[in-house]
Amino acid sequence: MIFPSVSFLRNKNRYQYSTARSVIAAAAFFFLINLAQAQVVNPLASDPRAAQAGGAIFRAQCATCHGADAKGIDSIEAPDLTLIWARQTTTEASLFKTIKEGIAGSIMPPHQNPDPEIWMTVSYLKSIAISGTNETVVGNAVRGRNMFVENCSSCHRVDGVGGSLGPDLSSITGRRSLASLVNSLREPSSAIGRRFKPVSLTTATNERVQGTIKSEDAFSVQLMDREQVLRAFNKIELIQFTREIDSLMPVFSEAALTETDVNDILSYLQSRRGRRPSF
Amino acid sequence: MGKKLFWKLIFSALCFSLSGYLVGQSSSAPSSNIANSVGPGYEDILRGFDDPSRWLTFSGDYSGKRHSPLQQITPKNVDQLRPVWTFQTGTTTRGRGFETSPLMDDGILYVTGSNNFAWAIDARTGRSFWQHRRDLPTDLTYGASAPVNRGFGMLGNQLFMVTLDAHLVSFDRRTGDVLWEIQLADYKTGYSATLAPLVLDDKVIVGISGGEYATRGFIDAYDPATGEQIWRFHTIPALGDPGSETWPADPEVLARGGGGTWMNGSYDPALNLIYWGVGNPNPDYFGDTRLGDNLYSNSLVALDADTGELKWHYQFTPHDLNDWDSNHVPVLADIEWNGQERKVVMVGNRNGFFYVLDRVNGELLLGKPFTATTWAREIGADGRPIVLNDGSKGCLPDPWGGTNFMPPSFYPGLDLFILTARETCATFVPEEPRYVTGQSSFGGVVFIDGEQGSGALRALDVHTGELRWEFTYPSPTFGGVMSTAAGLVFAGDHEGNFMAFDVESGENLWHYQTGSRIWGAAATTYLLDGKQYVLIPSGTTLTAFALPD
Repeated sequence: MIFPSVSFLRNKNRYQYSTARSVIAAAAFFFLINLAQAQVVNPLASDPRAAQAGGAIFRAQCATCHGADAKGIDSIEAPDLTLIWARQTTTEASLFKTIKEGIAGSIMPPHQNPDPEIWMTVSYLKSIAISGTNETVVGNAVRGRNMFVENCSSCHRVDGVGGSLGPDLSSITGRRSLASLVNSLREPSSAIGRRFKPVSLTTATNERVQGTIKSEDAFSVQLMDREQVLRAFNKIELIQFTREIDSLMPVFSEAALTETDVNDILSYLQSRRGRRPSF
Repeated sequence: MGKKLFWKLIFSALCFSLSGYLVGQSSSAPSSNIANSVGPGYEDILRGFDDPSRWLTFSGDYSGKRHSPLQQITPKNVDQLRPVWTFQTGTTTRGRGFETSPLMDDGILYVTGSNNFAWAIDARTGRSFWQHRRDLPTDLTYGASAPVNRGFGMLGNQLFMVTLDAHLVSFDRRTGDVLWEIQLADYKTGYSATLAPLVLDDKVIVGISGGEYATRGFIDAYDPATGEQIWRFHTIPALGDPGSETWPADPEVLARGGGGTWMNGSYDPALNLIYWGVGNPNPDYFGDTRLGDNLYSNSLVALDADTGELKWHYQFTPHDLNDWDSNHVPVLADIEWNGQERKVVMVGNRNGFFYVLDRVNGELLLGKPFTATTWAREIGADGRPIVLNDGSKGCLPDPWGGTNFMPPSFYPGLDLFILTARETCATFVPEEPRYVTGQSSFGGVVFIDGEQGSGALRALDVHTGELRWEFTYPSPTFGGVMSTAAGLVFAGDHEGNFMAFDVESGENLWHYQTGSRIWGAAATTYLLDGKQYVLIPSGTTLTAFALPD
């Protein structure tokens, strides 16, 4: 195949390239592109001062939209930057590109900072990434799988299997520390994810509904009920609507799940981490 | 298509456009004769809502009340309101809004959008006559992080729009062709422009954005015919000028003192005064290098329209540390105050207070909180806030404030000031900025408690500042407000609802989910072919509503 990319050169009379020379030129061109791409790695990755300097740049240039804690601001659709590394598509190079070029069609602007400053900001964001469960959990993953099916999977999914009332746990150990995962089992109401806040309501026909709230405006509420059915209600038609404090998830005390049980379950979850669901 | 059908279609199209033309003619002012295309003049803008087939300036008239006399849509029939058409802009601004107020004349809407797009749209069908897209530089500064625009100014056959690269551009309203353009300031330093120009008889008045950068704000007047500058008022004084005593005696500090003027002002033709809000001092959160009150930041200024000379000022937030710009539409009304007729100007301020001032001399008549702000709860006898929490005690209203630039409305007779309130909780952590040309210098960071935000539409008695009624929203809201003489209030919220309320009770009478939050924009309304339309921008759409036939 002849590279079409050099055809524009032929429009100019002074460039009378033969096809063969065109191919060579194109090959050289693509080689250089590849070389340039290969060089897109953080040159400051090994410098511990980079993250610190990047923090100052972040506070001055990024914190207004992404929050001082980098956890994002919902009202302006600025994402939580501590979680971006959990996405498989995020690399230091892709982050560098986003900061430098901005995101078209959004308020994320391009940045004219010198490249080293952008790399410092990348280093900083890497340093504050939610790192997940670093240590390997000692447990019996096979037994953990059974414990999970018995106790958790009616509400939680792993690898595309299980319920949906609670969050998908396929990669949870990549985002949460061991301590916080244990805490979520022992005290589920202490921290409830934004899209899993519990609500209860009573309809005009006296039906009592409990669920996790997905969306809400001044007139309506959208939720998933305990039977995992998506339902929507007009607030004006409700007799009662309450934002609950207690999570719909049961408290798993030591009596319900021993430390060994918990470790087995977490070991199972860790063994699934990074795997893609098979559809 | 058969030949017969083709000619039938052509004939009916001709009849339709002719009938539309005739109706448009009969209901519009004599001075607006589109046949010889003189377009609306200053006298027409001055008449404001006297001709409700038009909407010729940002708020509909110079007073900023955003209160239309139209009474076809009433509290009784508003639940019948239906969308008639939706216009799609094709230009997005994720994170911000479609903030424009379309102008209306002779059945044609003149609309600006994000990223300096603009259109002339048929108000009957929502189809466009022309589109303009400005070729913007790729190294925009403030303009890249807030790529919005709030509307055209209009005079005769000219339209005026400001741009994200800090220019003022004049267009031919029939073609969208650029007639002239001038630079307001160097965008590379941090300047941008987003407001709708205020057009007087022989001047186009504009302000500037960029107070988050090392900039110095101004209000400018230009000759509509040529674009030549007539006067400039600097919102941050030069060393030695009045007001400079409220700053350190350092020309460098003054030169980067901020004080943006990015929201529309109002105009009193009898007093020949322009009223304009001034934004935050720079750096936003770090005050140690700018000790003093920092005039005229966070103030309302009254300027002589002919000369730009300062007549009076009132500073709402002296030495602001919270980015509480005072960029709001000043609302002018003549009301009875303690048995006396007073010419007043009213402001619902980002600092969470509602103010009434005598607009002849700037005397403070009332200053009352309309939010649960912990910053201050009263204004002292000296006209200054009694500050209880400068931010060090936590849970202050966030930098977007107790309200913001979204237009409020004033309902005459009931004397209600209706505005969107935001209840938020933030902690400010100042840090001395370093100054790099073209980079923002906020001077610190803010921790916003995302769990604690809410919003409300609130109606205040302007005589006491007391709350008459409210309608609450689940999140802090940026939608603006319009009222109509039939007893209706139209408002938008952050969840995308466009709503109508009874002005006396605050009862919600109608709502329509537009599909995207209503941010910064307020509704407009006009009479076309004998029918009242209501318009609201939302996300990437402009939707027109009317009652069914």
